[in-house]
Amino acid sequence: MTITDTRVESIGAPVPRPLTRRPWFLVAAAFGVLLVLGALWFKIFEPIQVLPRIRLAPGFSLTDQSGAQVTSEDLRGSVVLYTFTYAGCEEPCQAPEPTMAAIRNRIGEVDLGETAVRFVTISFDPENDTPEVLNARAGAMGADGDQWIYATGAESLMKPIIGSGFKTYFERRDDGSFAFDPALILVDGWGVVRGEYRYQTRSPDTERVLNHIGILGDEIRNSHGVTGLAYEAAHFFLCYP
Amino acid sequence: MNQRLRTLALALVAGIALAVLLVVVVLPRFRPHVFSGTVIQSQTPAPTVDLITSTGERASLGDFEDQVVVLYFGYTFCPDVCPTTLSTLKKAMDKLGSSSDDVQVIMVSVDPERDSPEILDDYLGFFDPRFLGMTGTEAEIAEVATVYGVFFQAEEGSVDTGYLVSHTANLMVVDREGHLKLIIPPDATADQIADDLDYLL
Repeated sequence: MTITDTRVESIGAPVPRPLTRRPWFLVAAAFGVLLVLGALWFKIFEPIQVLPRIRLAPGFSLTDQSGAQVTSEDLRGSVVLYTFTYAGCEEPCQAPEPTMAAIRNRIGEVDLGETAVRFVTISFDPENDTPEVLNARAGAMGADGDQWIYATGAESLMKPIIGSGFKTYFERRDDGSFAFDPALILVDGWGVVRGEYRYQTRSPDTERVLNHIGILGDEIRNSHGVTGLAYEAAHFFLCYP
Repeated sequence: MNQRLRTLALALVAGIALAVLLVVVVLPRFRPHVFSGTVIQSQTPAPTVDLITSTGERASLGDFEDQVVVLYFGYTFCPDVCPTTLSTLKKAMDKLGSSSDDVQVIMVSVDPERDSPEILDDYLGFFDPRFLGMTGTEAEIAEVATVYGVFFQAEEGSVDTGYLVSHTANLMVVDREGHLKLIIPPDATADQIADDLDYLL
């Protein structure tokens, strides 16, 4: 029986070191593992949360409760919370304004830095909701006509603006009343929809919407330089609340 | 001893050179692309655009499948922002070189009353013959503009210009899969636009 010593045989003809034991490979592998662990940590613990950039909010030109024109361009640069209703919405019609008013009353709790917050209620009944009617409704709901405005526009554009643009359902019934989704839509200063709060899926409680406006405020205040990259990473990893 | 010192110094120089190479050449290649425009994470296809082109046919976004589409809303009588933006887009296309064949720039007219397909064709050809114009009825344009977040409105001009149309001047970029991907502000430079488009390509 012959015992062969491979180490002896390899003298004079060195066996190449396996790939997995080469220093550069180990460094690259460690870097790769760290990168994967870092990405996992970011995804699991979500150190930064952001609101998704859902789609573009529609462009529009409307008339507010004072008879003045208000356009989507006038609102650019402000964070805007939209609701949709009509002045004839009385009990048992589910009006979205009480939620809007509750959010507006507590908006001071949210830090948005220099960015203004506006509240816009759009009526989908321009036939009946003249500026005077809207003004009366605004007064009853506590809308000041400055931070919170009521507006409506040409009947032919209501479906493109509210239906196609804000993806919010409304339809006139035979008796002249409306069936509609009393949704709240949050839009950033870029005119991008960042939050949709729909009654049929989940009640848009004040706390939740305020929390989301706060998250948007954090992004607006901090999204520049290196932290801007971290916020983009949060978008990439879908770190949504 | 001298030999060891020399080896050490050489290793130090080589190490520094390697680190510089890593920071200057290698790392920037792994740096994530930072869009100059705002990224939209829409899961649904971009809103339909189905209008008459400057070449006279009816076309929709679906006809530009596998191309990145840059949508701009403007008009040929526009005195300032439209020619500036279209010139910038032309420069961005030139910077992209042969990749620009996969980019289709479309200007949707917000002045359908004056912008016939022929006028659009002449006007856009002045900037780049590959640019395409689109127009339609006032109602069609209003519908498309609304869903793309574009506001436009005719306003009084001068005797020379006739009426003017104020309008949103952002560029909307639809990716190869037909999703609205980017909103680029009108003050973006040709380099920034080219970089964003190049990344999407």
